[in-house]
Parts: sequence; structure tokens; C-alpha cells
Amino acid sequence: MSSNKFLKHEGPWSDANDPLMCSDTGGWRTKRPVVDKDNCIFCGFCAIYCPIQIMEMVENSHFSVDLRFCKGCGICAKECPKNAISMIAEGDFQK
Amino acid sequence: MTEKKKGKLTKVLDYLKHEDPFSKGVAFCPGCGLELLLRFIPQVLGNDIVITGTPSCSAPVLLGQNNQSWHTLSYFGTLMTGAAANATGLARYYRKAGIKNTVVCFNGDGTAADIGFGNLSGAAERNEPFIYICYDNEGYMNTGIQKSGTTPYGATTTTTPLGSASKGKNLRRMNLGLKMAMHKIPYAATATLSDLEDLAKKLLKAKEAKERGFAFLHIFAPCTTGWGYAPENTIEVCRRAVKTNYFPLWEAVNGKIRMTKTVKKPQPVSTYTELIKKFAHLNEADLQILQDDIDYEYCMLGGLSVLEGECQLPVSSED
Ligand SMILES: Cc1ncc(C[n+]2csc(CCOP(=O)(O)OP(=O)(O)O)c2C)c(N)n1
Ligand code: SF4
Ligand code: SF4
Ligand code: SF4
Repeated sequence: MSSNKFLKHEGPWSDANDPLMCSDTGGWRTKRPVVDKDNCIFCGFCAIYCPIQIMEMVENSHFSVDLRFCKGCGICAKECPKNAISMIAEGDFQK
Repeated sequence: MTEKKKGKLTKVLDYLKHEDPFSKGVAFCPGCGLELLLRFIPQVLGNDIVITGTPSCSAPVLLGQNNQSWHTLSYFGTLMTGAAANATGLARYYRKAGIKNTVVCFNGDGTAADIGFGNLSGAAERNEPFIYICYDNEGYMNTGIQKSGTTPYGATTTTTPLGSASKGKNLRRMNLGLKMAMHKIPYAATATLSDLEDLAKKLLKAKEAKERGFAFLHIFAPCTTGWGYAPENTIEVCRRAVKTNYFPLWEAVNGKIRMTKTVKKPQPVSTYTELIKKFAHLNEADLQILQDDIDYEYCMLGGLSVLEGECQLPVSSED
């Protein structure tokens, strides 16, 4: 983790030396991106356009989503040139 | 099991040399263009930047809450009226103290184009050594989607609603990027999220230019919540804005304009507006007004780039 170089405090009230705050944004999701590894051509578009930047490179093969924070916006699926990502309703995973 | 793929990794990844200093779970709407932009900038420019900015959608995340923060960058929160004046102070302090870093004044269009425009223009005129970035979501989003100077003709906002007496904004939008380029600053450019390599290059050029003075980036950053389009369309909205010349990509060194992307066959503006609810009520005549405005602005841009080539700016900072 890179440290705050120039100010000790973010504002009068927040201390940058404390651990960062983090919300459970994965809980907002109603649809889950599912990557079809076989169809993926490993171009990286899903990763660069993901607003949260949570697609991790897996070997030299594909990108995987960090579901703890994925908000389910669907940008990765929309931008994938091979349609290798499908957005599946979260409810379907609970059955 | 490594070599199986025929595709080529996008070059954009090569520009992401530094880590993302933000916590993974932050409170931007799903699909927010601003979130991608904010995470992108320090990955390209490095984490040794000092961000300063005003109340806006970016502020709750940049400023932190209670005793904690959402990121590890240095951030200095300031007022909408004086953002560029504050950045001036910061940049001058770091220069005098001999601290090498980059001050990035990061604001929405409400601050940049309207409430804080006076001191933005002043800082540009004085050629202060910092980067000013306006993320343009075409309205005051954080206070509930009011119209701003960059809200386009016809768009509905909460202050330009759709009703019996109003059909959305009844005025044209201002061209903030061009206005700033006309200050003849070392660097001014437009950019957007569909063209991330172009954006990365411009960020790096702005960082270089700030050694010579003021650098301004006008970045088109759509807002899914305020404009009414499906979150997955954020990048597509940017792409179509470029393809219709609604938001042309150019750069200007000391005011000399050069297109960084020329669209061979510009699409009609309806291919852009059809994605977005704030334009849904526009009929053909309304769309024509919007189209004429786009054509006019684009023609002006082309004309200026030719003229700037022919005329010599008498005093210009080194290039
Ligand atoms: C001088 C002043 N007027 C009004 C406000 C209230 N206010 C807080 S956030 C905001 C909206 C800012 O809009 P913009 O800069 O476009 O950023 P966005 O919310 O779109 O990200 C306003 C008007 C303020 N803080 N200061
Ligand atoms: S759905 Fe959105 S947040 Fe989730 S991985 Fe895809 S682009 Fe990222
Ligand atoms: S955009 Fe599609 S093809 Fe490209 S890396 Fe992502 S999943 Fe694979
Ligand atoms: S209101 Fe718009 S700009 Fe603000 S966080 Fe949501 S999508 Fe982003």
C-alpha cells in the first residue's frame, strides 16, 4: 500500500494513517458477471473499463472478477468484444 | 497452461504503471464514469500527486468520512468558489519548499464552468504550475442534478424539467475546453473514457506541461444516475459522443489546436441521444438544433486549428 506522502490528514477530520474505509459494494449487485474462459481472447478490455478496477489477470489466460466489490454494472460484459462475459441474476446463485 | 490465446492485450494496460490508491468499495453509483476516471488518473500519473477539489460527487470519496479515508492520496478539500486559487497556493508552496510533485485540481463542471470559473481563468492567465481537470457530467449531480453551463441544449435536469412550460434546457452549452485553450496555456485537451490510451497520453502530457505552467483537461464523464442510461452503457455513451462529434478529441499546445482523433464519417447526434433518457423527449426539430450546434462547434474548432497554424502567437512559453 502506497503511503500518503504529502499530508498527514486528508481533511481536518480524517487520518490517512488509519486503515482505509471500505464498503461492501458487492452487496449492491443484482447481476453477476460470469467469465467464459474458453471464449476469452485475453484482450483486457473488461479490465481497463471496469470502473472499480477489480478485474485481476489470471496467468496469461483471462481476467477474474473480485465479487466482494463488483457492483454489477455490466460494463465488462458490454465492452467484451467476444461476448465472453454474461450477467447472471444474483438470485440464480442462491438456489 | 499459459500460451493459448491469440488476442493481444490492450496497450492501455501499459500506461497503468502505478497502483490504484483507492479502497475497493467506495460510494459511487454502479457504472459511474467518474469512478473509472478517478482510479485511472493516479495509476497513470503516480501516487505522488496532491488532489484538491470541491464539494461534488467526487468529494465524499476524496474527502473521507469521520476519522477515515477512502484512499491514500493527499487531498485538500476546498470551496467551489475558489478551487483554482487554492490550487495556486498549494502549487506555489511546493515549488518554494522545493518539493517535487504534481498538484491536480479536480472538479466537476459546476465548479469549473460556473461557480469557480473566474479564478480558474485567472490561474490560467497567470500560468500557474498545476493541472486542472474538469470531469464533465453536464450538471450539478451531487446536489440532485441541476443544470450547469455545460448541460447541452434539450437535456432535462431538475431545474430544466419536462413539463408544459419547459422542454429541457433552452440554451446551448458552453465549450469549456476551447475557452481554456484560448488562454494560450501550455497544454489544454479534451478526453473521454472510451479512448483510454488517448486519455493516458494527455494526462502524461499535462504532467509534463505543468513544468511550464497551466495544464487543463476537459474530460467527458457520463453520469448514469443523472442522465438516465443503463449503467453498462457508460463507455458506449462516451464512444458515441466522440463518433458524433458531440465531444471531439483534441489538444492544444499554447493554444495551437490539433485533433487527436478525427472521425471519418460522423454519425447523426440521434445515435448518441437515443441511449440517454434526458434527451428522450426531443423531436426531430429539437435534435436538429442540437445537431446544428455540434456542427457549428466542430467547424469552429477546425477553423481555429487552421488559423492558429497560420498566425504566430507573439509571446509564447517554450514548447
Ligand atoms: C458556492 C457553493 N454553492 C453551492 C454549493 C452546493 N453544492 C455542493 S455540491 C454541488 C454540486 C457540484 O456540482 P459539480 O461541480 O458539477 O460536481 P458533480 O456533483 O457534478 O460531481 C453544489 C452546488 C456549494 N458547496 N458551494
Ligand atoms: S460488472 Fe461492473 S463492477 Fe463488476 S466487474 Fe464488471 S465492470 Fe467491474
Ligand atoms: S473483454 Fe472479453 S475477451 Fe477480452 S479479456 Fe475480458 S473477457 Fe476476455
Ligand atoms: S450521481 Fe452520477 S456522477 Fe455522481 S456518483 Fe452517481 S453516477 Fe457518478
